[in-house]
Amino acid sequence: MITDPRPTKPDSQPLLRVRNLFLAYAKRRAFAAESIATHALRGVSFELREGETLALVGPSGSGKSSLARCLVRLETPSSGQIFLEGNDLCRMDAIALSSARKEIHLIFQDAASALNPRFTVEEIVGEPLVIHEPTMGHGERKRRVSDALKQVELALGWHSRRPRELSGGQRQRVAIARALVLQPKLLILDEALSSLDLSAQSQIANLFFDLQERQGLAYLYITHDLGMAKAVAGEIAVLEAGRLVPQALPTELIASNLQPVS
Amino acid sequence: MLRVAKRVLHGLVLLFGVSVLTFALLSAAPGNLFDELRLNPQISPETVTALKAEYGVDRPWLTRYAYWTSSAVRGDFGYSLSYRCAVGKLLWPRVRNTLLLTVLATLLSWMIAIPWGIFEAMRRGQWIDRLGGGITATLLAIPELVLGLLLLLLAARTGWFPAGGMLSTNAGDATVVRNAWDLVRHLMLPVVALALGSAPLLIRYVRSAIASAMDMPFVEIARGHGISSWRIVFRHALPAAANSLISLFGFSIGTLLSASLLIEIILSWPGLGPLVLEAMLARDTYVVMAVVMLSSVFLILGNALADVLLYWSDPRIRAV
Repeated sequence: MITDPRPTKPDSQPLLRVRNLFLAYAKRRAFAAESIATHALRGVSFELREGETLALVGPSGSGKSSLARCLVRLETPSSGQIFLEGNDLCRMDAIALSSARKEIHLIFQDAASALNPRFTVEEIVGEPLVIHEPTMGHGERKRRVSDALKQVELALGWHSRRPRELSGGQRQRVAIARALVLQPKLLILDEALSSLDLSAQSQIANLFFDLQERQGLAYLYITHDLGMAKAVAGEIAVLEAGRLVPQALPTELIASNLQPVS
Repeated sequence: MLRVAKRVLHGLVLLFGVSVLTFALLSAAPGNLFDELRLNPQISPETVTALKAEYGVDRPWLTRYAYWTSSAVRGDFGYSLSYRCAVGKLLWPRVRNTLLLTVLATLLSWMIAIPWGIFEAMRRGQWIDRLGGGITATLLAIPELVLGLLLLLLAARTGWFPAGGMLSTNAGDATVVRNAWDLVRHLMLPVVALALGSAPLLIRYVRSAIASAMDMPFVEIARGHGISSWRIVFRHALPAAANSLISLFGFSIGTLLSASLLIEIILSWPGLGPLVLEAMLARDTYVVMAVVMLSSVFLILGNALADVLLYWSDPRIRAV
């Protein structure tokens, strides 16, 4: 069973502050001199505090995943600011951005495709450490990987397995362990529960709650499922055509009958 | 072990099928070497009939096929009517020359294609990618024949390279080092012609495979973790693209004997190309047959090599 949504902490400082974020994709038509811009995000602003969960709901094509990709700088916004602990991710140099990426991780819906099929679980979970902690010894890295796998309730025997040997729920746990190994402060869950069956969904959701309880993680939970958003988040924001509808409490949102299209 | 045995059996069945089909088609083709002799008024029809009987051309094709098969097993591949010797004797020096040329050209093509394809994939949509695309499209549009003739013209006008052949006429008198250098100079034009012909396609294939791999979610996640572009390419994208590239490499091994026929004829390289052309014009069935069979053997070996490389490189295949 999924437990209660997290309470909000209005007095804490924002961990993530997004200000007036715009993202446009330029598309050049064949034989045309000018390119056409498709606007994925139009002035999105919101805040997320440490230990909180914000659900972002919206229909397909509303810009949810584009926003997630901007937040981890897989996309460069056309304009706007993304402050992580007060530092603007859009204005950082490569070294500072690399350091900031330790604090924020993206977890995709389809864990099967988000894990390198040639790697073992140990290689997958340990790779962020190879990048961000290059001086770390093999033994220490192995210990950190084991710790991360323990956190997601995967036993020692899973180290040498490859993704195809795991179930959907186990793969998602590996993806979470990979995100946790650097001890981040914010996880962006892009439809992270959608591809799982009901039992795995509730197990993973409870795992997220436990991690939040223990480590004070903040979540930006992106989904098209308003019911699931209500179950996991203290606050819900609605994204429509790249614009954010003002944040509302789940009960108010449901009362207003604002149903996103899946 | 069972899998290897199955592959060997499959290869043998395939070779048998190719040999039967090729032999039947060549036998069904109208005319043979003796039809030309008949046109010569100095040779009597009785002589032609006697020659046909001597060389077994008048026998049913199944008998001739059985004779050819037993000869092929011995390595002779039948008897060449126009060269009047066992085909095997004709074939092996030519095969060696062709392989020298095509192995070097294939290696050069891949050595160009892999870094170029990766570089373009890493700069997708940028001007350098578009420029590379333009260059490869232009090279693809130039027929191999034109490419060979252009290089021949370059050699003739500048004198920088020998304009054909494999060794200079006075090569026998020179030292080993001078002979080796002479061979290298003669190799340059045909190798470049072949590499320019095959590299553009390989470059496009490598670029496309790496670009597709770079779009895979696990590569995106790796980028999100701040992993450097080079590590992403070599640790994630290249292994992900490796399977299709290895299969293509196996195919290029398979075409080692047949890829250079035209260039060998244009640039007078003493390989299989000129031999096959002469054999086809003279309707020397067994020579053509032998070249077709050797090409099939290379295709099977190329595929087998690709399978071994796939098994070695992909842990998922090993796990099956």
